[in-house]
Amino acid sequence: MTGINTRVLDRELKKGSAELLILSLLNARMRHGYELSKLIHTRSGGQLMFHIDSLYPLLYRLEERGWIKGTWVEKPGERRRRFYKVTAEGRRVLAEQRKTWAAFVEAMRRVTGGENA
Amino acid sequence: MPDWARQVRARLSGLHLSPTREAEIVNELSQHLDDRYQELMAGGASADEAARLALSDFRSGNVLGQYMAPLRQSNSSPSRTPGAPTGRVLSDLWQDLRFAMRSFLRAPRFSIPALIALTLGIGATSAIFSVVRGVMLKRLPYRDPERLVAIWEGRLDRGLARNVIADANFVAWRERQKSFDFLGMVGQSRQNIVINDQPEETRGFRASADSLSAIGTQPQLGRLHTPEEDFEGNDRVILISHEFWQTRLGGRTDVLGLSLISNNRPRSVIGVMPPGFTIEGLPTNYLIPYGWTVERLRQAVGRGSSHAMARLRDGVSFEQALDDMQTIMAQLRAEAPQRNTNWSVSLVPIYEQTVEQIRPALYVLSGAVLLVLLIACVNVANLLLARSTVRQRELSLRTALGATRGRLLRQMITESVLLSMTGGAAGLLLAVLFHRGLIRLVTGNVPVPRLDQVALDTPVVLFTLLLSLVTGLIFGVVPAVFATGAANDALREGGRHGSGPRAKRVLSTLVVAEIALSLVLLAGAGLLIRSFIALQNVDTGMRTDGVLTARVTLSGQRYTSERSPGDFFTDVVSRLTAIPGVESASAVSVLPMAGPGIGTSFYRLDRPVPEPGQAPGAAVKPVAPDFFKTMGIAQLAGRDFTASDTLDSPRVAIVSDTLVRQEYPGEDPIGKRLNVAIGRAESGMNVEIAGVVSDIRMVSPADAINPAVYVPHTQLQSGVMTLVIRTSLDPISLTSSVGAAVRAVDSSLPIADVATMDGVVDATLARPRIVSTLLTVFALIALVLAGVGVYGVMAYSVAQRTHEIGVRMALGASTQSVFRLMLGGALRLVIIGVFTGVIAAAWLSRFLTTMLFQTERFDLMTFAATAVVLAIVATCASCVPARRGMKVAPMTALRAE
Repeated sequence: MTGINTRVLDRELKKGSAELLILSLLNARMRHGYELSKLIHTRSGGQLMFHIDSLYPLLYRLEERGWIKGTWVEKPGERRRRFYKVTAEGRRVLAEQRKTWAAFVEAMRRVTGGENA
Repeated sequence: MPDWARQVRARLSGLHLSPTREAEIVNELSQHLDDRYQELMAGGASADEAARLALSDFRSGNVLGQYMAPLRQSNSSPSRTPGAPTGRVLSDLWQDLRFAMRSFLRAPRFSIPALIALTLGIGATSAIFSVVRGVMLKRLPYRDPERLVAIWEGRLDRGLARNVIADANFVAWRERQKSFDFLGMVGQSRQNIVINDQPEETRGFRASADSLSAIGTQPQLGRLHTPEEDFEGNDRVILISHEFWQTRLGGRTDVLGLSLISNNRPRSVIGVMPPGFTIEGLPTNYLIPYGWTVERLRQAVGRGSSHAMARLRDGVSFEQALDDMQTIMAQLRAEAPQRNTNWSVSLVPIYEQTVEQIRPALYVLSGAVLLVLLIACVNVANLLLARSTVRQRELSLRTALGATRGRLLRQMITESVLLSMTGGAAGLLLAVLFHRGLIRLVTGNVPVPRLDQVALDTPVVLFTLLLSLVTGLIFGVVPAVFATGAANDALREGGRHGSGPRAKRVLSTLVVAEIALSLVLLAGAGLLIRSFIALQNVDTGMRTDGVLTARVTLSGQRYTSERSPGDFFTDVVSRLTAIPGVESASAVSVLPMAGPGIGTSFYRLDRPVPEPGQAPGAAVKPVAPDFFKTMGIAQLAGRDFTASDTLDSPRVAIVSDTLVRQEYPGEDPIGKRLNVAIGRAESGMNVEIAGVVSDIRMVSPADAINPAVYVPHTQLQSGVMTLVIRTSLDPISLTSSVGAAVRAVDSSLPIADVATMDGVVDATLARPRIVSTLLTVFALIALVLAGVGVYGVMAYSVAQRTHEIGVRMALGASTQSVFRLMLGGALRLVIIGVFTGVIAAAWLSRFLTTMLFQTERFDLMTFAATAVVLAIVATCASCVPARRGMKVAPMTALRAE
């Protein structure tokens, strides 16, 4: 079911691309943890999947860095959930990482897929 | 549904999360698992399968724990129970300190009064200690000071315990004594020294070479003078003080060998004494030899202006030396009865000589500041005790959470020590200000020996810190023991704040003590103030307003050979009279109230010559014409001196009223003749009484009135006279005209100690004024502290009884009866405190006896006034909280339960 080896994903987590994923998803609006994991799974077409035991430590780490902020929100008819949103600092980091990522992807494309283009 | 929380918590167990954070994470992850579970169920999975799949999201090997471990939140420090022992002394102490600091900041109504009390108490104590240390505790800067003695003569029947010595006796002592290595003579001196072409009257000492050897201090530069230089002809040398060298001579390096013009004679500087050198605590600008001849010493008739200083020979005790000298004095009484009958000799250790004048005042002030400190301590103990009762629930809670009694005790003592150390630091700052004020108050007003040694130096700072520490321990221990002892019961009482009867009793005792101690200080200050007022209201016998005084010291040989001092002063006085605005002018040898003048014996020439030592004594003052008119002394009979009373005319005298009443009761004294033991001739001077004037006080307002004999300054000439000028203008405005009049006669002569006569009288009151001022300041501090203390305890007690008041009022008690109830308790304490205080003050007033003038130590009015003042203040202080008690609304009080 998992398209990408979880060990590979873990490595990516450490390198920071997972952070970019989270920040991008939260940039649109605030979301809770389960929603995030579902979204990553569906948007990647089932290719990416976060385990519960790596997703939450990542969220807490980003929160400790001050890039995102979690708050308990109570909506009528729903149970109390912890929602995360991107902070101003997080938005700055996101813009930077997007640029780096785009440059990286472009460089990879040129080297590895040039002939196919 | 599976227990998600348990699953999550198991994976977090290895981390150091704070309990709240852990709960949050457990909550959040459980929801995640539950969401997944619900989704799987909705997708058709069985409950078991859904639970298994949801949990499979946790990989094996606790990945969650591994990923969480590096996070900061996983490493929070373990939670603490305040007061629970951690087993580490230093960290406990640090924790206690931080806790104490926070609790003080949270309770400013407690900590601010406590700090103020401590600051005042410790500040005043340090400042006074700095003086006591500088003046009394520092070792005298002489070689083996305990072997050094001052030697005086005395006539106890005339109340003269420390009198200057007879030169002839001094010669005999030197020839016969076996007790001393060195026996020399010292006496105060004034010299007109020319500095930068300006003559300046300068104070110093004459000192014989042996007195300097006895003192044993070596000069910083150069040498001491030799016994040969004591003698006339060899004596043109001068030793100067370090201070004189630095301030007057600019510290010039070529000072040795420099020639100084002193009283119109050149003297060569042979040495500079070390900094801070004093003779018996008195600063001296210079030391010069006497320039004597043994013949002149032997033939001197009266007593000069010096005393002896000597160093005990090794192996000779003080008592043996005294014995030796008394034996010699007995011989001299037999050999020269005229000079020595009724005279005795006394030896005074140099330390005693230095501090005996100032000691009573310092004792009283030290006692006073210690009382202030004690009151401050009682005050703080009160506040702490009141507070600890309020804190009993907190303490109980901490005991319940595992704090031991010892730990709580330590916590509370840490708090009081922190408080007292903070108070000590603030007190030190206050001491600096206080110290400056004190020095300013004293300098130039009262001769305090070694005032320059008084400083807030390291020992004083250490003393202050130690004092703070001890203070903190003393006032901290009692409340702490009470509070921690009661800690276990507080929770059991179901939350009602209550203090046991024991704590209440201690609190009451402390209030009583505080009131009593304040009363002691107030009564002491009251006695001194009353005594001071009595001193101020003494009729000196003179009209002291509108009079300017200035001293002139004639210098050098000129006034013995070329012209007489009498002619000089006659000339000056006539010039003074010509100054516009001057009503009259005159001169007197030693100005009344400005120091001891000549005292001698006399007898009626129309009666048989009295036995040696039996003749009555009198003050003798050479004066110029118009002295009585200028000083506002009434002429009762006869005439004043005039210009025709000269060296060549018959000797005359004017005597005081008391002398007439003592010697001529019922007779007319005018024209009668007296013999006065004064002047060059051994037989004294025979004078005819020309007038009678009213009495005056000679040395200070506190003096008894003694007989006085005034003689014309032309017939008993003096090289040092004080000019007195009565004017309708501001006296001080005449200063430059007076200086000019003197210079017109002799351009080399300065005028010195220019002052109004009011100022001169005032200066004699400086010491009692300073002591009573300081004691009043301390007493007022004590009064304020007592007021604050009573207020604090009452406020606390009202707060304690809010519930009771509420019940009483709910049951129909009127506000007045509540007020009476509250105040009644306080008044009982005030009355006991005042009563105790009066008894203590009456007992302690014995230490003031020597300082009181025309005031009984049990002065009823002072004690009554003090008791009333204190009772009023204490009552007012307790009224405020009592009124608050009155306003308690019954419902509020009961609802507070």
